[in-house]
Amino acid sequence: MNIGILGSGNWGRALATLAAEAGNRARIGYRGRPPGGFPGSPNLAALTAESDLVLVAVPPAAVREVIRTARPGPGARVVIACRGLEPGTGGWLSEIVTSESACLRVGAITGPAIANEVTHRRPAAMVAASPFEEVALLAQQALHSPICRIYTSRDLRGVELAGAAVSVLSVAVGVADGLKLGVGVRAVIVTRGIAEVVRLGRALGADAETFRGLAGVGDLVAAAGLPDHPGTAAGLRLAQGGVADPDTRTKAEAMVALGRRYKVELPLCEAVAEITAGKLKARLAIDGLMRREATKEV
Amino acid sequence: MSGIYDRPSPSQVSRVLQDRCRARMAGMPDDAVQAYLADAVYLERKRFHAGRHSDPAPPAEIEAIEAAARATHQGRGDQERAVLALVDAYAHEIHNVFSQRTYKVATRVIPSALSRLLTSTSPRELVRRGAFDPDQRLIIETAAGDDGAALRALAREHTLIFAPTHVSNLDSPLIGYALDRLGLPPAIYGAGLNLFSSPVMGFFMSRLGAYTVDRRKQHRLYKDVLKDYSIDSLGRRCHSLFFPGGTRCRSGRVEDRVKKGLLGTGIIAWQEGLLQGRPHPEVLVVPVTLSFSLVLEAETLIEDSLEEEGKRRYIITDDEFSEPRTVATFARQVLELDDAIVLRFGAPLDLLGNPVDPLGRSLDKDGLVLDRRAYVTDAQGRVARDDQRDHVYTDILSRRLVDAWHRDSTALSTHVACFAAGRLLRRAHPRRPTAELVLLPPAERPVARADLLAAIAELLAELDAMVAAGRIRTRLPGGTGDPQARATAVLDEALRRFRGFHSRRTLEDRGGSVGLDPRLVLYYGHRLHGYGLQGEM
Repeated sequence: MNIGILGSGNWGRALATLAAEAGNRARIGYRGRPPGGFPGSPNLAALTAESDLVLVAVPPAAVREVIRTARPGPGARVVIACRGLEPGTGGWLSEIVTSESACLRVGAITGPAIANEVTHRRPAAMVAASPFEEVALLAQQALHSPICRIYTSRDLRGVELAGAAVSVLSVAVGVADGLKLGVGVRAVIVTRGIAEVVRLGRALGADAETFRGLAGVGDLVAAAGLPDHPGTAAGLRLAQGGVADPDTRTKAEAMVALGRRYKVELPLCEAVAEITAGKLKARLAIDGLMRREATKEV
Repeated sequence: MSGIYDRPSPSQVSRVLQDRCRARMAGMPDDAVQAYLADAVYLERKRFHAGRHSDPAPPAEIEAIEAAARATHQGRGDQERAVLALVDAYAHEIHNVFSQRTYKVATRVIPSALSRLLTSTSPRELVRRGAFDPDQRLIIETAAGDDGAALRALAREHTLIFAPTHVSNLDSPLIGYALDRLGLPPAIYGAGLNLFSSPVMGFFMSRLGAYTVDRRKQHRLYKDVLKDYSIDSLGRRCHSLFFPGGTRCRSGRVEDRVKKGLLGTGIIAWQEGLLQGRPHPEVLVVPVTLSFSLVLEAETLIEDSLEEEGKRRYIITDDEFSEPRTVATFARQVLELDDAIVLRFGAPLDLLGNPVDPLGRSLDKDGLVLDRRAYVTDAQGRVARDDQRDHVYTDILSRRLVDAWHRDSTALSTHVACFAAGRLLRRAHPRRPTAELVLLPPAERPVARADLLAAIAELLAELDAMVAAGRIRTRLPGGTGDPQARATAVLDEALRRFRGFHSRRTLEDRGGSVGLDPRLVLYYGHRLHGYGLQGEM
């Protein structure tokens, strides 16, 4: 199978490794310098037209432009392999594909697979989701191998939301770690963070089980244990008085906006948004969260 | 040429539907065939039992189901024969033979007697009132802004599915009339069995392209037969009229969800056409919106909408349509109104929801022609059937259809005045749930006329912005000038239209205040639901 990967960063190369491991022909679409060690093409449209499956591995902010350039057609199957909502619009990345091109068969893949670990052939697992069964199965065939298990799901909305939420909740984990609050707080952030995403997911019609699976708990636990995960690292910097990078800030803002749109309270995401916007000190934010009104878990 | 002029006989239809059913059963294991039959038996027996006093089933129907029940205990061969016997019975019930002669007569008399045709009541009164010029009452618009030439051109080459919003029992005859006015061939459509109960109505409907749908039959076999009938009809190039919302929208809203059963038959018919190399395999969808100033059945529909979900009736047989006097009053009042109904044929879509050009070719977002066959073909260009994929495609089409309905709907004075009145009630009672608001005691209902005018003016400004953004259409009095004058014109027109129409007064001028019926205000105001307007009742 021909796999086209749009994006030549660490994650794009890791996906190419996985595709090759699964016995497929992977080519990386790039701009600027060609990716070392992998076949590639600077012509994204041609690469897309020649691929049985296209994986999009660029930052959320770049997805729209990349899709406009790649122009996947009605026969294309495109899977989003990056986490988050579109900065600014807060739009779903899969919907950017369908609104910017004639492609309708879209999906998303996410989970606790870390680029550096994958490149070193360490075991990993992810979930590929699409309302189109054929797309999820194609993603499974593209990447499933002895070093990476790929599960399939129909819950595209849930998987995209989980990916977006993990990129924000991992910042909260980083903040807690940076403030040396201990593993208990980390566990609280993971469990309560997932609880708030489940609430939002329900409002969006997603399946709560998705958040308890690889895309939610799995991905967040992996991020929490990885100091150089982008979200965790950003949280660590914020705890030490640093300033949030625009990418982290917009991801948090997009989640909060989504919560407001669906009238769902997201205390952890809101705290991260306030910290990244510089409106609240990290320690005060944690304090504020702990002083929230007592409530029941179940 | 449209296939409606060359309709097969009932026995031909039965053979085709049995063949399709046989093919379906060939892919089923033994226990699935048994379950298929048992489901029909169980649900039909349940229906017979529930209606044994009020709506007894014909003996032949009961007999057929009892024969099927016996077959469930026998072997697969007997079960398949029992299924096919039911298919045969349903095929004869569903299929009606179109009569071009009746159609021509009907379309000639409709301009002067649309209501008579619909109701078979009060013809003398309608004749006495003189010629009815429907073109002043019924505004027919097309997305192309033409006299229907663009749609006629598409209809010559492709099979069209007209997909309207569903407001009233008047919808299908009105659309039938509009198709004729635009010079389009007639379309077949599914009409509830209850609409055939009037001999006059039944006579015409069965010859005007209506096929019979018995919504009381809820089992899978019957639904499959209906879908197969639709696939076969589309394959024979019969333009079809589906109401994707199912039944009339109870709440008065522009539907935001659709049933995908019949709508999904389009993509199957298209692929069958491609596979069989038919000369005109393409099927296109035309969104249609009906915007009524006044809705005859409004009182019944909103009552039903306010009932608990579980108690909701799927088929209403005792609404205003069952009262000849009410229908006559409605007909009289509507005939007196200008711009009473706006019927708009929206921009045609392909079965994936993409827009199409005048030749029916699909367009991408940049307006470039795309090869839509690639959506359903494999890498070698062969059509690859995939029911799961097609189900998702129909979901996508449904969403795009709902978007088109919202864009194409026309807000009229009655909708605007009621939405604004509902907003005032909501502001006065911010914490009360809607279910309580509609039960407000009469003393708490009136709103000050000045407040209502201000609320209408505020809403008009919001609507102007929505119109400019292409999110909705309006047809309102008062031009584009002074906001207060426009609001006054809208309110006065709405008050005039509502005067004496429903048994309860929707809006009523009381000098300095306006009396209102909260339920009807909710119903008519709902037409502006789904656009993100704040402060809904």
